[in-house]
Amino acid sequence: MAPVKPSFSKALFSGVIMEDLVFPYPKMEKEEAENVKMMIDTFNKFAEDNIDAVKFDEEAKIPEDVINGLKELGFFGLNTPDKYDGFGLGSTGFTKMLSAVSEHDGSTSLMLGAHQSIGIKALNLFGSEEQKKKYLPRLVTGELVGAFCLTEPGAGSDAAGIKTKAVRDEKSGYYVLNGTKLWITNGGIADFFTVFAKEDLEIKGEIQEKITAFIVTTDMPGVSKGKEEKKMGIRGSSTTEVYFEDVKVPFENIVGERGKGFKVAMEVLNSGRLGLAGGTIGAFKEIFKTTLDHINQRKQFKKTLAEFEVIKQKVAQITIDIYAAESMIYLTTGLVDRGDVDYSIESAMCKIRATDIAWEGINECLQMAGGIGFMKEYPYERNVRDARINKIFEGTNEILRMFIALSGLQERGEYLKKIGKALRDPIKGFGLLTDFAADWVKDRIITGRIRDVHPSLMNAKKDFENWAKNLRFTVERLLMEHSKEIIYREMISYRIADAAIDLFGMIATISRVDTRIRDIGADKCDKEIKICNAFCEQAWRRVRRNLLMVDKNNDDYLREIADFISEEKQYPFNTEQFF
Amino acid sequence: MNIAVCIKQVPDTETKVKISDDKKSIAEGDINFILNPYDEFGVEEALKLADGGEVTIISLGPDRVTSAIRSALAMGAHKAIHIKSDAVPADPGATADALVAVLKEGNYDLIFTGKQAIDDDHTQMASLLGEKLGIPAVNVVVKLEVSGGKVRAEREIEGAHEVVECPTPCVISAQRGLNEPRYASLKGIMAAKKIQIEAKDVNPGPNQLQIVEYNYPPQKSAGKIVGDSADAVPELIRLLNEEAKVI
Repeated sequence: MAPVKPSFSKALFSGVIMEDLVFPYPKMEKEEAENVKMMIDTFNKFAEDNIDAVKFDEEAKIPEDVINGLKELGFFGLNTPDKYDGFGLGSTGFTKMLSAVSEHDGSTSLMLGAHQSIGIKALNLFGSEEQKKKYLPRLVTGELVGAFCLTEPGAGSDAAGIKTKAVRDEKSGYYVLNGTKLWITNGGIADFFTVFAKEDLEIKGEIQEKITAFIVTTDMPGVSKGKEEKKMGIRGSSTTEVYFEDVKVPFENIVGERGKGFKVAMEVLNSGRLGLAGGTIGAFKEIFKTTLDHINQRKQFKKTLAEFEVIKQKVAQITIDIYAAESMIYLTTGLVDRGDVDYSIESAMCKIRATDIAWEGINECLQMAGGIGFMKEYPYERNVRDARINKIFEGTNEILRMFIALSGLQERGEYLKKIGKALRDPIKGFGLLTDFAADWVKDRIITGRIRDVHPSLMNAKKDFENWAKNLRFTVERLLMEHSKEIIYREMISYRIADAAIDLFGMIATISRVDTRIRDIGADKCDKEIKICNAFCEQAWRRVRRNLLMVDKNNDDYLREIADFISEEKQYPFNTEQFF
Repeated sequence: MNIAVCIKQVPDTETKVKISDDKKSIAEGDINFILNPYDEFGVEEALKLADGGEVTIISLGPDRVTSAIRSALAMGAHKAIHIKSDAVPADPGATADALVAVLKEGNYDLIFTGKQAIDDDHTQMASLLGEKLGIPAVNVVVKLEVSGGKVRAEREIEGAHEVVECPTPCVISAQRGLNEPRYASLKGIMAAKKIQIEAKDVNPGPNQLQIVEYNYPPQKSAGKIVGDSADAVPELIRLLNEEAKVI
């Protein structure tokens, strides 16, 4: 493998702006862009005739003939290389495709995403040539449907705490697998599972439990599934438990290396989060479109809703948020498609930002629709229900913020006080440790500035540089003050993560608009320039607030109140005292 | 059977049309172009009938029309000819002349068009091609049988279907109902990318029509709700009679 360049955002924690990673804004190859457009056209046609989001939601099922139609057209092989009969879409193309599918139905998008983003991704990333030849051609046609089995009743965010056990028998050449997996998307329709289980490995003369990834198929005796879960949203998609009872899995079904399963799982999720982020925005854009129709028709006080300033504020905010989130997502998918960059924390940033703004924004769409928004007859409430899970699965937005903050802090910690090592353990609990940016950048020209951008974006650029510098100072001060105790200061980490997300949002948006200006001229980009400047203005103010609150905050009070209430186990205060 | 399908690239039906400053064309900037939906019925019928023969897609227009050609190839057509032209002539007769020049070079048993293009709605192409090629043209076809050098076609006419027969070669214009066009599979899309589209320079015939100007349709005025019970009927009738003057 080619040497991997460190993450843009990790380097940013060290005050280094690796501008060649973000400028110019990446574009798909013309050939791939054309393919993706045609694939989306085909999907749109199929969807108009076959995808009925209301029915799928009500019946809590995607009909079999619709799934079969999608299989026949090739939508189960989007991101598998053509060498294995797939259609070879890169991260950008695949994410755009999922976004387009989500415009029609979140459940359908989730089914395709769970199969391709995570279900068969480990095989695509880490599988041996024999494994790929054996399974991929049947997975791209949908003859086999894939699912990803990590979560367990006792192991959600703490994925490393899984209990599923694989016992290796050298004589027979088989593992014996036992355990229960929970909330498995596609569980009910899948035949091919990427399963994570612990096995005993001898390391330095000591027996240790390590996670290994396995391919398990439903034709193996002992694999069974629970009933369909009843869910709040994305109800058309299948979610079940999956049970493994003395399942004999041949050695050759190990994906990647023995004991390296956690790395496999985290890599898969790093890439899966981008598809999820793109899909989330697709659904958001569609309900926003419906909302815009409504507010331009509905009149109150003899004016359309769109003419009221409180509505304008919501419309503008949603536009700005979508623009910035998509700028982040497709900058990151561009980095993935380059293939030589660590994008783990950027992909977490995209997932957090996309799912947070979509949750807020879809609620605002419902609010603009008023009473109509609350009625089942209209799509608003379903979209709210569908969007809710996005903040929870594939890493909760909270745990991902810890991952982002600690990865960045560790970067600086390693460099400053040799306390980075102490930060490794908590990170290992929920993410991947990658190489340090500092080692990589120390011999290079370090710059805290970025190239000149178009004059209309100069303020945004200066704000970015200024607050990137402040992030670095804050991080250094924080490490001096708290040293390794920082791992317990989650409220602070949360703010650091939010600041870093906003900074990445700023640079992504600036790069996108600047690149577009270079391509088509500033006069054709006046709206996008305004969007970029509005976003960057909002973003740096949030960054300032978050960084200020690293020092000036009420965190001690908050902890004390929370501990007290948790002990009370209920809200204990009344306005009147009854004796 | 060898079959030609003449297709047109048109703006997507959801396009918000903007007229250019000189009023003589529509602004193409943000338009999403698609394969004319009626032409899709023609492509589908050709693919069904080809039976080992070749289906050739022919289209006239600027470079952008290759994406409509690719859509037809992705459905399964075998060959394609792109007649290069900076713009589609305003006069369907001129377009027909160019198409005829290319059609004469091939040996086609059947030629399909859509019954009309959904952008300029001239609804002339099949008739023009038939006339200029000296072969029969059957318009607005909803059912087609081809055997032994003869076609039997059901045409949609006001309130009835008319069944006609004619010898091949002939020109058929396809109407909705003729078939259910297949979706282009991803495999089809990738295979279509490998097909070389033959580019031809053919001068369209003389343009006898000139576009004077485009205008937006007049703004619709807001509707009026007279009432929601039977009591409102007399008032409704009065308004339809006196104000709207439609009864």
